[in-house]
Amino acid sequence: METEMRNLRKEISEKLKDETLRDALGRFSEAYPIARAKAYENAGDIETLRDALRQMKIDTVERIEEVADRFEAEATKRGVKVFRAKTGNDVKEYLVNLCKEKGVKRIVKSKSMASEEIDLSKHLETAGISTTETDLGEWIVALAGQKPSHMVMPAIHLSRFQVAEYFSKELKTVIPPDIAFMVQAARTELREKFLQADMGISGANFGIAENGAIGIVTNEGNARMVTTLPRIHVVIIGYEKLIPTIKDAATILKVLPRSATAQLMTSYMTMIAGPTPAMVKRDGKWVEEEKEMHIILLDNGRLKAAHDDKFKEIFQCVRCASCLNVCPVYTLIGGHVYGGHTYAGGIGAILTAFLSGMGEFEQFQELCIGCRRCTTVCPGKIDIPGLIEELRIRNVKEKGLPFLLKQTFENVVSNRKLFHGLLRLAAIGQKPFQSGRLIRHLPLFLAGMAKDRSLPAIADTPLRNRIGKITKKIDKPDKRIVFFSGCTIDFVFPETGESVFKVLQDLNMEVLFPEGQSCCGKPVIALGDVETTKKLAKENIRALEEQNPDVIIVACPTCTESLQQYAELLKDDPEWGPKAETMAKKVREFCSFVAEEYGKRGRLTKTGGGPKVTYHDSCHMKRVLMIDKEPRQLLEAAGCELIEMKDADKCCGMSGIFGVKYAELSMPILEQKINNIRDTGAEIAACACSGCMVQIQGGLDKQLPGVRMKHVADILAEKIKE
Amino acid sequence: MEITHEIWKRHFPAENSGAHLFPEFEMRAKAVSGEVFRVPAAAEAREALIRLVDAVQARKAVVVESPLQEAAGITAALRSRGVTVYTEAADIAAHADTADIGISGVEFGIAETGSVFQDGYDIATRLVTILPPLHVVFLQSAHIVPGITEAFDIISQSFDRGYVGFITGPSRTADIERVLTIGVHGPSRFAIIAVDEEPKGGDA
Ligand code: SF4
Ligand code: SF4
Repeated sequence: METEMRNLRKEISEKLKDETLRDALGRFSEAYPIARAKAYENAGDIETLRDALRQMKIDTVERIEEVADRFEAEATKRGVKVFRAKTGNDVKEYLVNLCKEKGVKRIVKSKSMASEEIDLSKHLETAGISTTETDLGEWIVALAGQKPSHMVMPAIHLSRFQVAEYFSKELKTVIPPDIAFMVQAARTELREKFLQADMGISGANFGIAENGAIGIVTNEGNARMVTTLPRIHVVIIGYEKLIPTIKDAATILKVLPRSATAQLMTSYMTMIAGPTPAMVKRDGKWVEEEKEMHIILLDNGRLKAAHDDKFKEIFQCVRCASCLNVCPVYTLIGGHVYGGHTYAGGIGAILTAFLSGMGEFEQFQELCIGCRRCTTVCPGKIDIPGLIEELRIRNVKEKGLPFLLKQTFENVVSNRKLFHGLLRLAAIGQKPFQSGRLIRHLPLFLAGMAKDRSLPAIADTPLRNRIGKITKKIDKPDKRIVFFSGCTIDFVFPETGESVFKVLQDLNMEVLFPEGQSCCGKPVIALGDVETTKKLAKENIRALEEQNPDVIIVACPTCTESLQQYAELLKDDPEWGPKAETMAKKVREFCSFVAEEYGKRGRLTKTGGGPKVTYHDSCHMKRVLMIDKEPRQLLEAAGCELIEMKDADKCCGMSGIFGVKYAELSMPILEQKINNIRDTGAEIAACACSGCMVQIQGGLDKQLPGVRMKHVADILAEKIKE
Repeated sequence: MEITHEIWKRHFPAENSGAHLFPEFEMRAKAVSGEVFRVPAAAEAREALIRLVDAVQARKAVVVESPLQEAAGITAALRSRGVTVYTEAADIAAHADTADIGISGVEFGIAETGSVFQDGYDIATRLVTILPPLHVVFLQSAHIVPGITEAFDIISQSFDRGYVGFITGPSRTADIERVLTIGVHGPSRFAIIAVDEEPKGGDA
């Protein structure tokens, strides 16, 4: 594992140094959300469209065999030869035999990710059959001897100058780096190939069971050539592309072009049901003949996924790549780092795991920081980070944790006294090394993950030792509140914990801090260790519920989410399941709770006169808890002048193991955040997540020392008179 | 076997379609570099086509007939202009690659996207639409449906087998540095001549 990790890190730093790539992806990630929004302007309600696609796909996967049988029967009835391929090798064998039998020497291909997935072209070339990719991007990438780096724009990582070089080499003449000229040169060269080919291989964006049709969306027109000119047409289509009815295609077409390329419709949308006539030259004369059409229905792991309770979700993917376009990691490093596989990004890690086996998954899954941005755009509404977490859990079940982590989790983190003792020791030991950079999820540094990083700045006195001093006696409290601080507030930001006390006590609430509370378990489950997480969950439920609270307040969205997820985690446990469920109902995130209480008391109004503040939406706050208005309202109620930063809801770049292990990658993401904060001219950067505070404070220290990082609770507390 | 081209009209909605949708269709088609010429009747349709032919100095055309084209006497007009015209499948197969212009009829347009729907079961139609650098289509301007969904209401009832699809503007790519470039494999120009008057016999 060590060596693999080191390679991936090396690859990442190479990509980060690739100016062409950084520039292209940077510009693209800026332009994409705007273009996409524009494309959806006349489409009606976007959520309704996404729900319709999701539901249609869910209904299909539930009865995928039936749909596939019907698709096969209808296509066969119309004269297509349908072949079901279990693996990539089955496809290759079938095709090589077919080529031999029919005397096929030259193949033209339009885009087919299923064929890339099984590395088909290389195999055909080895078998002596000339195979040409005709999609311009795919052709360029093939000439470069590379793999596509994006599902929709395969050559986005290359500049015109690089393309000109590859073209010059292939066409054996000097081709200037002029885009229009190069496109024409490609047209001329590939036109010959189309006209000479004996076979066309295409992919498909959908396959319709009702009439055995396949549908293809393209812009260049190459798929129309591939399916029209040669006398044999072979379609390679994965099971996940099947849909029951012709009308279901409309559900896909409403969203696919808009999401993929921000077009209302691609230049060509073609549906083919059964073989159609082709023109064939016989004895020097053109005659009309019926085409030969084959459909290869590819499994290669898909059916296993279809029958997996969780992973059948991947059938909702229409390969639009919008999840890549918004992913803070992908848009920094591009697709090649994900192993140079056909499918990149978070969804790529999942598909790769299913289509090529777990071995490949281990590395790429770490490149998902769980920011959930992709889930807000995915037209199939796939929970990519959720599936990645599930894969991690299974991976750990199958292979176990790396030794050091296992030791740490089982022996240290799950033993609260020892764990907290070590954190205190760290407070003493850290002095000579302390710096602005901290680690988001504390338990990780104990696992030796912080080799190249500074230790987190542990406070001299953790919150748990300040409770006596900050607890006010409330006579007739409105509510009895238990505060769950999480490790970070407890040991790194105890002052924020004090602020929470102050704000709640000011609302005439009794606040308690149970000593027995421990790590919420997030960093542990994030690495797939379910057993340790369960232990922590039970410990926390016991400690919190012992106090009989009306409400459990958490001032960190990640911890909030963890506590709420205990119910799911322990659902098979007859004793703890119901307890977890009862507790989950009491858990409230700090800002939303306080905003509600302020509202009741008429205190949630804009006041003014305070400092300029900009607010950072933590990923989990906004996209898991769906809380984004309340913290802003609170800031304005506290008199702040709120200035929105660009991409306020974009990840700050540090998430668990990722920020530590891939520091070089986490830093540019942080840098963007700091720049956006700088542009607002605000004096204070506020947020409501202790994890983000660690990261952003680290960045501000170094790059923008004039701006301070504060939790919303701190700002509220400052307004309260003693 | 009935192909879509022969039966789609039975399923074309009398309501929720029509020339009132044309302005939106035209706006969308132009937004994707389609050229749109709306004309009142056959004579003007012929003129519009001749202007296009002159502009590109076309010498050779491949043509698949449609009632609108016949009504306008397109083929004869081209020939009288000195353009060599091929209309038979075998000739089209031999000449589409080197023709300057391809001409065909389409079934209906979609306002939401500026697309036209065409049945391409006929091989000659497909060659004409994809190989020459300029593709001109004839469309009845009342044959417009509001959106993709309505288009599929028709298609789902009339597409049993064959080769059908939408064409939306000319062929394009953004595969090099995401710079939009028109005319990769397919035509670099796509023109729609939309005729208000129905051809004699009332059936386009
Ligand atoms: S959750 Fe964030 S990091 Fe993970 S794939 Fe989605 S966008 Fe990328
Ligand atoms: S996961 Fe969703 S966003 Fe990503 S390619 Fe698939 S459909 Fe598109």
